[in-house]
Amino acid sequence: MLSVEHLTKTYPNGTTALKDVSFTVQDGEFLVVIGLSGSGKSTLLRCINRLIEPTHGRVLLDGVDVTAARGRELRHLRRHIGMVFQHFNLVRRSSVLTNVLSGRLGYSGTLKSLLGLWTREDRERARHALDRMGLANKAARRADSLSGGQQQRVGIARTLMQEPRIILADEPVASLDPVLSHSILRYLEQLNKEGITVLCSLHFLDLVHRYATRVIALKDGVKVFEGLPGEIDRAKFQEIYGEEAQEVRATSVPTAATGTPISVPVQPPASPA
Amino acid sequence: MIAGLLSLILPGLGQAWAGRRYRGAVVFGAVLLAALVTYWYGVPAWRLAPAAIWLWNVWDAASLARGQERSAFVPVAAMLVMAYGIGWQVTQIDLASLTRNSGRAESILGPMLHPDFAVRREKTNTAWAPVEVPCGPHPPAATNTKDGATVTVAPDCGRLRDTLAVKATGLWPNTPTLVQWATPIGNRLALGAGFAAPLTVASGPDGTLEARIQIPPNALAAAPDPDLPLEHRVYLTQARAEPGFRLSENGRYVVEGIGQTLFLALMATTFGAIGAMLIAFPAARNLMSANWLTRSVYFVTRMVLNIVRSIEALIIAIVFVVIVGLGPFAGVIAITLHTIASLGKLYSEAIEGIDQGPLEAVRAAGGNWLQMVRYAVLPQIVPAFASFTLFRWDINVRTSTIIGFVGGGGIGFFLYQWIIKGDFRAVGSSFVAIALIVIVLDFVSARLRTRLV
Repeated sequence: MLSVEHLTKTYPNGTTALKDVSFTVQDGEFLVVIGLSGSGKSTLLRCINRLIEPTHGRVLLDGVDVTAARGRELRHLRRHIGMVFQHFNLVRRSSVLTNVLSGRLGYSGTLKSLLGLWTREDRERARHALDRMGLANKAARRADSLSGGQQQRVGIARTLMQEPRIILADEPVASLDPVLSHSILRYLEQLNKEGITVLCSLHFLDLVHRYATRVIALKDGVKVFEGLPGEIDRAKFQEIYGEEAQEVRATSVPTAATGTPISVPVQPPASPA
Repeated sequence: MIAGLLSLILPGLGQAWAGRRYRGAVVFGAVLLAALVTYWYGVPAWRLAPAAIWLWNVWDAASLARGQERSAFVPVAAMLVMAYGIGWQVTQIDLASLTRNSGRAESILGPMLHPDFAVRREKTNTAWAPVEVPCGPHPPAATNTKDGATVTVAPDCGRLRDTLAVKATGLWPNTPTLVQWATPIGNRLALGAGFAAPLTVASGPDGTLEARIQIPPNALAAAPDPDLPLEHRVYLTQARAEPGFRLSENGRYVVEGIGQTLFLALMATTFGAIGAMLIAFPAARNLMSANWLTRSVYFVTRMVLNIVRSIEALIIAIVFVVIVGLGPFAGVIAITLHTIASLGKLYSEAIEGIDQGPLEAVRAAGGNWLQMVRYAVLPQIVPAFASFTLFRWDINVRTSTIIGFVGGGGIGFFLYQWIIKGDFRAVGSSFVAIALIVIVLDFVSARLRTRLV
């Protein structure tokens, strides 16, 4: 169980990205975080594994205070928290296999890993992870020679190396074509069904309806909604995304499960700052 | 009015009073700078420049107070005229001197355009006979046979300026033959007109030669006792051109120097690159922003790099020549230090420019700092590092051609000697050799670099 208690983050430049956000995630949930760009979704996910240091508040993973952990203890806690990134965060020039293996760094000894000496078991695990992502024959390829969808699957394979109990997915499909979005999210859904808790930030409302078991919404760093995906109707959507936003019905890609068109929140043109 | 008065008292004050503090500061700085420069230079006429800016500043302040801004043409023009005028005089630019000393130019450029790197291959034939000077009680026979050539001098001995008859057989036929006097310590003296020009006699078709010579008046100049009879020699030297060229003596030095230069650059670049890699990580802002301790390490490293980089390798070499002695090692140390500083900065900037995503990924997976460097930073920077290092190697070869001027070894060491000696043919040879290797390495490193990026 993951509990987030009164989480607040104020950046050194004075921007407050999160204001007193609290929620609980039960094991096995697929919790989706929605909100406009800049509403604090990325900050929230990164505060959970302390890639970003929260200003106030606590994060508890199965009763262990992640926010209080230091040094080695923190690194060991991070092993249980996988992360999938919007821009995949692969080393473009390295091989797919090396990228996947780097997900195991939290477990391997420093000296051995610096020399690139991976155990047979780790290599086997990496091949297995790639296999699960349908990339078994791509292990030796350079990461940037793969398509966007494949790169994101490499990112998930890398996360699997951590044997995570929870996966934080920060806009995992925002850099991908809508068709690929489903492919990636189905992989995450599969992992979720196998018992890994998933916290995922998403943009498209129909994806939320299709995959989320529960939803929280952020607006200007404040939690403005928490509930079931079905509870988000047009009015709720307007409330979360602002008065000017409107749901645009794209004609493309009916989703496999619901057949509803993809909905895109449209922001008003950015006002000159 | 008040603004103008204020500016008359202190330049820029009026502008500040009119609410243009920044403009005031700039004006004050300009007047101060102009005043300091003209004061340093000491020629009174130039003081017109700060005076002009001062006057303009009063006018400008008065106008500003009325809400009108004056163009900065006057002060900018005054500064420029002053800077370039004083600059012209300080650097003693004298274009006429370029043509005035054409004789001196010719005496240098002429030989330089005829480098003596290689000379025609030739074969020589030498024969000699002993002559006793002055005559002792029992002078040995003045004849000698060597390799089938016999030289006989009559009489067997003599005093300074005595005339001798030289006869030789068994020489190469029909060949110009150089006739020289050799003192007991081996000095060769010319026997031609006035004992200054060389004496050359052609051998006959049958390989014989006859000549009349005078014992040179300075043949005893180095003798410890002019009355002690000693063996001098008459040397006959024939030379015949052969096809092809060979390295001259200077040419051999050039080859030695160039070889030393190349290896000097190789060692210094390698050591420098290793040092720079170690220092680049603590000098990269993005890796060192964790807390105040790492940030201060970053600042200190950066500062040291900047200081070392500002000192030319040539100057570092002077110090190390004193410490480790003359020779290429001093040059290696100097260029290594300079390379660490320059590459360290380039490397650390390459590190700062990398994609942060993979770093985040390694941290999220529970990796530590070293693992992050190894798996997220290194793979991203290796191509840039290799490219910078090749470029630096190129620069280091050029530096190590001149590091010898201060005793740091390499071709520059020989070059400096030749310049001092006035051997400008050898200087020309080294210039050609330096140009060749610089061009070749430039080409090679450029090709390699395009492959890497």
